[in-house]
Amino acid sequence: MNRRPLVLATALAGALALAGCSGSGSSKAELSVSGSYMPQPVSADMAAGFLTITNKGGTKDELTSVSSPAGQVTMHSTMGGEMREQSSFAIPAHGRLVFRSGGNHLMFEQLRHRPKQGQTVTLKLTFAKSGPLTVEMPVKSATYHPTTGN
Amino acid sequence: MRKKTFAAAALLAAATLALSACGSQDATSQSPVSAVSQDSGRLGPATVLDQPWDKPGLVLTDTHGKKYDLRKETQGHPTLLYFGYTHCPDICPTTMSNIAVAAQKSLTPAQRDDLRVVFVTTDPGRDTPAALGSWLKGIDPRFIGLTGDFKTVQAAARSVGISVEATKKDKNGKLVSVHGTQVIAFSPKTGGGYVLMSDSATVDDYIKDLPKLVRGAKP
Repeated sequence: MNRRPLVLATALAGALALAGCSGSGSSKAELSVSGSYMPQPVSADMAAGFLTITNKGGTKDELTSVSSPAGQVTMHSTMGGEMREQSSFAIPAHGRLVFRSGGNHLMFEQLRHRPKQGQTVTLKLTFAKSGPLTVEMPVKSATYHPTTGN
Repeated sequence: MRKKTFAAAALLAAATLALSACGSQDATSQSPVSAVSQDSGRLGPATVLDQPWDKPGLVLTDTHGKKYDLRKETQGHPTLLYFGYTHCPDICPTTMSNIAVAAQKSLTPAQRDDLRVVFVTTDPGRDTPAALGSWLKGIDPRFIGLTGDFKTVQAAARSVGISVEATKKDKNGKLVSVHGTQVIAFSPKTGGGYVLMSDSATVDDYIKDLPKLVRGAKP
């Protein structure tokens, strides 16, 4: 009947050191996407994408898939130069899931065209609980870095 | 029932999450948003080594299918060495693009000709001379790409403190390779590898540091 205790318990267990809080209790996951970009890739074979998903709600959620009409998309984590494909990423309550260069990233393969700076790539993000989100990801320069803007 | 659960959760949170900023139970309170991905004390973009590395005595095949002797070909030239692979979405193309753009912006044409940027593949199975050549051409046609026996590549990488592993299949049967996390800069004067550029170095970091690196100066 009441699924909340289990949700809370798993949220806390999974959030060790990640600061997941379930303070407000009654509010659902409230997701928004910011800072998305794709550095212009070398070829259509392989590209990366980055974005941040912010959860303002009091319930955790999970990113379960990313798709795009532009090509195949998979989700990866990176540890010490080695990337690992993941089937989902947790989004803590009142927390963020960050994909950024050197860390978690979206990997695009077999793109129909090589994305060029100034274009956008459409993404559909699917979550365990929340409804899907559509993102228009801008293609930036190959050396673009969000903190410097170059 | 619900209240008890929240109280227990709050206690557990307080006990286990020293860093978590849990607000009050009031739904209107704004808990600070916390980052999920951690970034544990990364090095600055450039690290000057007290004891420079010897340039690896690496002989491999270049993108024209010709034998390339790293020490011989780069002697007296400022040299940047990186171990990566072309089926790499993020760090490998970004690192090479950062160097290419920074060289264009911060070096004279003579300095650009003098600089040797050497990309050694950690994935020789997929990175044939032709594959490597067409990938590097999309970044900077001056860059040198080397491929050959993985064990040779791995030993050379290890000799300059870079740890890489052979390409293997993940649980979905996809090939996964490993890239180095640093670029090593070798001095044109001594031939020693005296600076490590971390993989978080931006194009602006390279614009700032490349003019020094091509002279063998400390960034």
